[in-house]
Amino acid sequence: MTRHPAFVVVAAWGLFNGVLLAVLAVYGESSLVYWLWGGVVALLELAALAVLLSSLAGPEQHVGYRLPGRGGVAVLPAAVGLAVLGLGFVHGWWLLAVAVPLLGCALLLGAVRGRGAGDE
Amino acid sequence: MTEAATAPTTDSPDRRAVASGGWLRWLTTTDHKRIGLLTMGTALLLMLLMGLLALLMRGQLAQPEENLVAPGVYNQLFTMHGSGMIYLVMTPFAIGLGVYLVPLQVGAPAIAFPRATLLGFWLYALGALVMLSGFATSEGAHADGWFSYPPMADRQHSPGVGSDLWIVGVFLATVGMIIAGWAVLWTALRRRAAGMTMLRMPLFSWSMVATCLMVMGAFPSLLAALGLLAAGRADPSIFASNVWNIGYQHLFWFYGHPVVYVMFFPYLGAVAEVLAAFSGRRFFGYRGTVLSLLAFAALSMSVWGHHMFTTGQVANDYYSLTSLVLLVPAGVEYFGMVGTVLTGRLVFRVPMLFALAFIPQFLIGGLTGIMVGTPVIDYHVTDSYFIVAHLHYVLFAGSAFGLFAAVYFWFPKVTGLMLSERLGRIHFWLLVVGTNLTFLPMFGLGYVGMPRRVASYASFDGFGLLNLLASCGAGVLALGVTAFVVNVAWTFRKRTLRGPSPAPDDPWGAHALEWATSSPPPRLNFTPRHPLPPITSNAPLLDLRQRAASGAVPEGRASEGGAS
Repeated sequence: MTRHPAFVVVAAWGLFNGVLLAVLAVYGESSLVYWLWGGVVALLELAALAVLLSSLAGPEQHVGYRLPGRGGVAVLPAAVGLAVLGLGFVHGWWLLAVAVPLLGCALLLGAVRGRGAGDE
Repeated sequence: MTEAATAPTTDSPDRRAVASGGWLRWLTTTDHKRIGLLTMGTALLLMLLMGLLALLMRGQLAQPEENLVAPGVYNQLFTMHGSGMIYLVMTPFAIGLGVYLVPLQVGAPAIAFPRATLLGFWLYALGALVMLSGFATSEGAHADGWFSYPPMADRQHSPGVGSDLWIVGVFLATVGMIIAGWAVLWTALRRRAAGMTMLRMPLFSWSMVATCLMVMGAFPSLLAALGLLAAGRADPSIFASNVWNIGYQHLFWFYGHPVVYVMFFPYLGAVAEVLAAFSGRRFFGYRGTVLSLLAFAALSMSVWGHHMFTTGQVANDYYSLTSLVLLVPAGVEYFGMVGTVLTGRLVFRVPMLFALAFIPQFLIGGLTGIMVGTPVIDYHVTDSYFIVAHLHYVLFAGSAFGLFAAVYFWFPKVTGLMLSERLGRIHFWLLVVGTNLTFLPMFGLGYVGMPRRVASYASFDGFGLLNLLASCGAGVLALGVTAFVVNVAWTFRKRTLRGPSPAPDDPWGAHALEWATSSPPPRLNFTPRHPLPPITSNAPLLDLRQRAASGAVPEGRASEGGAS
């Protein structure tokens, strides 16, 4: 495990949370708390697993990197689309008529620019 | 998402020294430095706005029975000031600092998931816009405080559309911060350069690891709380049940306590870097501090119930115990900071002044935190101005001083320009006086029983003098922040008028890798002209200087600049 220190950090941190939750169980709490914190411990261990899989697939330290070759031109319409989607909760779901085309546009831009030459 | 593998030390046409300009390139950039600057710049602008809201509040409270703003407007002011400072200023600035600095500090040419990081920024910026747009609605902005407990925040008691906009805005900004936090964490864990072992990472990067672990663990709980609040506003019967009223508080504070440390750790990390650089030595007790950061972060996930002592529906003993145990890792960190200063050769430049002030001022916030983490005291002072004083000593007297230490420290690296030392000192002293004049009287106000979140008080309450002092302090704070704004504006204006007067690559004689590259750093951080130095410890540039002093490496490589 010492070959994968990044995994150890995340996993141990999640486990420490689990230990603290176990101590809380001695004192007693509502079931919601166990679900909430238990779910978070599970989420953290999943993150640790992702780190471990990444560590197994590549080096712990790098001499070469995969670099961002293009700008994130699709990101802005995606973010605006998500914000409009959120505003649907406030002003009515008719805003989906605006949000969906924006998200579609972001997907399209991502696909087109994804194949094109780098811009940055 | 990414292109060909390349070593960070090779040059090619794609590896241009400075990324190309144009506003669209900024808005769609995948350069972590630009995303970090966009995030921090937005946060600083919003900080000015939130400061204006605070001035209005202090104006209203300066005298008894004042009528500067209506009570309903006052509720909107404290809600948007508190929400704004936490969700839109201190947290995003902290994460933005990590987005900018962590790839540089671990020797990487880019951040992991650059497009996702950019998405994180845009969700944050749009979330801020949505949240603040509540002021433009007929019923005004959200007015139920930054934690917005139901049933107060349900549709029956808060029917305004501003409350819905607040929920959506906070949700978007929080999702953005989770995404950016994950990118920073992954960069520190999985994008380190050759030689950069975990225990060679600078303390700032370690503080970001601890911070982002808390972001991953705690922030989704806020999303759940906001979802519950939204559902409750759609169906008011949900909050007829005590389970969901208390359940909301659990969900909220499971986020609400760790976020205090999210708004503190990166600034603590920045202060650690500044103290070490201006003390001319390595940080004292590096390994112990790293361990204490991680333990502190995990313990911070276990104390949320102390915000709910007065509900009588949580395990008070447990939450009080874990709140007191926090003293141990906090003590280790203080030991490290004080040890660094006591055994160093101190140079009192502006970043160092802010870092030194951080130590005693945050201590006041921390120690009063221990007090309110004890149920018997909490019952007495809950919802009083004592709590307002405590949280402002933590987040302003502590974190904001760390923030300004970071700004003055890394400004030359980020812009290639030196801020005025004289204006910086004026800013510092005004901020010290203003901070303590504003927030120290609030402890007294809480002690004599002034409740928080009241728009006015009677002249016979006996709150007048302390409130007047606090309002005068807020005025001094405003002057201090004005000095900072003038300093930044004057520095950029001077560049336009007299041509560039570039800052050296390492003007302070600092220790971490970002100081090995140019100011500002090139597109991919390190180039053949500014290669990665050998990474032999958590202070590689100090190693280089020490080896140069002993004749092991050429003098020129090691002696650029220095704190003097």
